[in-house]
Amino acid sequence: MDHSTSKSCKNANHDDKSLLHWTQWQLLDSILPTGGFAHSFGLESALQSNLIKQPEDLKPFIIQVLDNTGSLFLPFVHTLNKSPDTETWTRLDNLLEATLTNEIARKASATQGSALLRVAASVFREIAELKLIRERFIGSGLVFFHHACVFGLLTGLLGFDGRMAQRAYIFMTMRDVLSAATRLNVVGPIAASVLQHEIASAAEGIVEKWRDRNVEDACQTNPLLDTVQGCHAYLFSRLFCS
Amino acid sequence: MAETDTTSGVVTVEKVRGRSTITRCFFRYPLKLILPKKVGSSQVDAVWIYALSYGGGIVSGDQISCKISVGDGCTASVTTQASTKVYKSVDSKCSEQVLEAIIGNEAFLALIPDPVTCFSTARYYQKQNFRIVSGSNLVVVDWITSGRYQSGERWDFTSYKSTNCIYLDNDRPIFIDSVLLEQSLICDIAERMQCYQVIAMVILLGPKLKNLQNQIKEEVKKMMTVKLRPPTTNFGRHAKSEAQHDRLVPDLIASCSTFGPQGIGSVIRVTATTTEAVYAFLRTHLSSLEMFLGAPPYCQSGI
Repeated sequence: MDHSTSKSCKNANHDDKSLLHWTQWQLLDSILPTGGFAHSFGLESALQSNLIKQPEDLKPFIIQVLDNTGSLFLPFVHTLNKSPDTETWTRLDNLLEATLTNEIARKASATQGSALLRVAASVFREIAELKLIRERFIGSGLVFFHHACVFGLLTGLLGFDGRMAQRAYIFMTMRDVLSAATRLNVVGPIAASVLQHEIASAAEGIVEKWRDRNVEDACQTNPLLDTVQGCHAYLFSRLFCS
Repeated sequence: MAETDTTSGVVTVEKVRGRSTITRCFFRYPLKLILPKKVGSSQVDAVWIYALSYGGGIVSGDQISCKISVGDGCTASVTTQASTKVYKSVDSKCSEQVLEAIIGNEAFLALIPDPVTCFSTARYYQKQNFRIVSGSNLVVVDWITSGRYQSGERWDFTSYKSTNCIYLDNDRPIFIDSVLLEQSLICDIAERMQCYQVIAMVILLGPKLKNLQNQIKEEVKKMMTVKLRPPTTNFGRHAKSEAQHDRLVPDLIASCSTFGPQGIGSVIRVTATTTEAVYAFLRTHLSSLEMFLGAPPYCQSGI
């Protein structure tokens, strides 16, 4: 096909900023094959512990999960978004490995991070570092490919601004918990969408509260949910990996 | 170990004539250390250290820092006489306790205190750093109750933060855990903790504790499998009966995770509706530590 003559393929000079929107939306779209839907963020375990008894209990649960995501993971997203280099990434990835003392959460994080890096290396071919990093470290045992670190690194290399990257991380977590909630029959898809809109304000508050912190300040804010999530492996029958 | 003017306590444990011996013990207000000789069986080589605060508690603004060094092959157990009360914050001041511990090769440190109880409006920060080598052994119990909950004071303090860090070979972090419970507009602590009044964390690490780690892992799994049952199919939108609501939450929830290179350590998290339930859990599951410490943990406490 002759690109120079075909109007529809005319190579207009879209500025990078406009194209970045397409990248952002693609990264947040649930069709990106990163396997996020294998994880319930402790929801399945909370249900079987009867900590969530009725649909009304879901909203506070999600807000608490997001708050804990903010306090624990945003410092890693922020730091790597600012400094998306290999040295920072390997150091922070190992630190997050030590910080995720909950085995269930730790394995889920590594699985999701590996999947994200794999997809990103294939999709964003113009960023050579992604493929190089993946090839260099896969199977090396030197890193664990934790999700928040891969995400921070990726957004840094893509040129996302820090606040947008951190907000996106909270958005993705909310998206995935709500998806798990519908699959576990806690709420239907429309009710889930209603909740998503209702929680947006609290979620933005969470981003504002926890953004731009140092990794030394990373902490967990909900030991009850942490304990319950750790029980996931004891569930007799389960739909999700975590 | 460098001391500063703010150091409240120093304890050094070394082998003297083949036995664990406290070769240095220094303390000053607000910390008091007691070294009773006859806590455990004399057949077992271990020293016991009781850490007390004057007035039975930590007052607003108190800063306590302590260093413990357990030499190669030595065993030391550090505990308290009663729960550590953290009194209300005055002028928004935060009370702080910092512990730096160094555990040598084939050495054993057991940090098995009673829980912390923060009173209404208290602000408290606790940091514990443990520097180990691959042959070190460590037991840490770190726990907190919701307050004077029988009087209705439940999770009424302003802020509690507890950080536990384990470093292997000086600078490699293998366990970094920071729990922050702070009243916030997003969610107050009582709502977060639901009906639970106590949270506890137990760390077990090292070759001498491998068997106990495996044993507890199995025991917790067995106990929790019974307590967790799938919800009935009539959940949520289609729920007709009250059956789901009648199912009570477990009065104690525990989970166990391994951590560190080659799974060198285990961390057990427990939450319960009463302090007694956690004392019972600790007494039961840590009883085999008697062979290392000379006396089983928590057998005099909380009864």
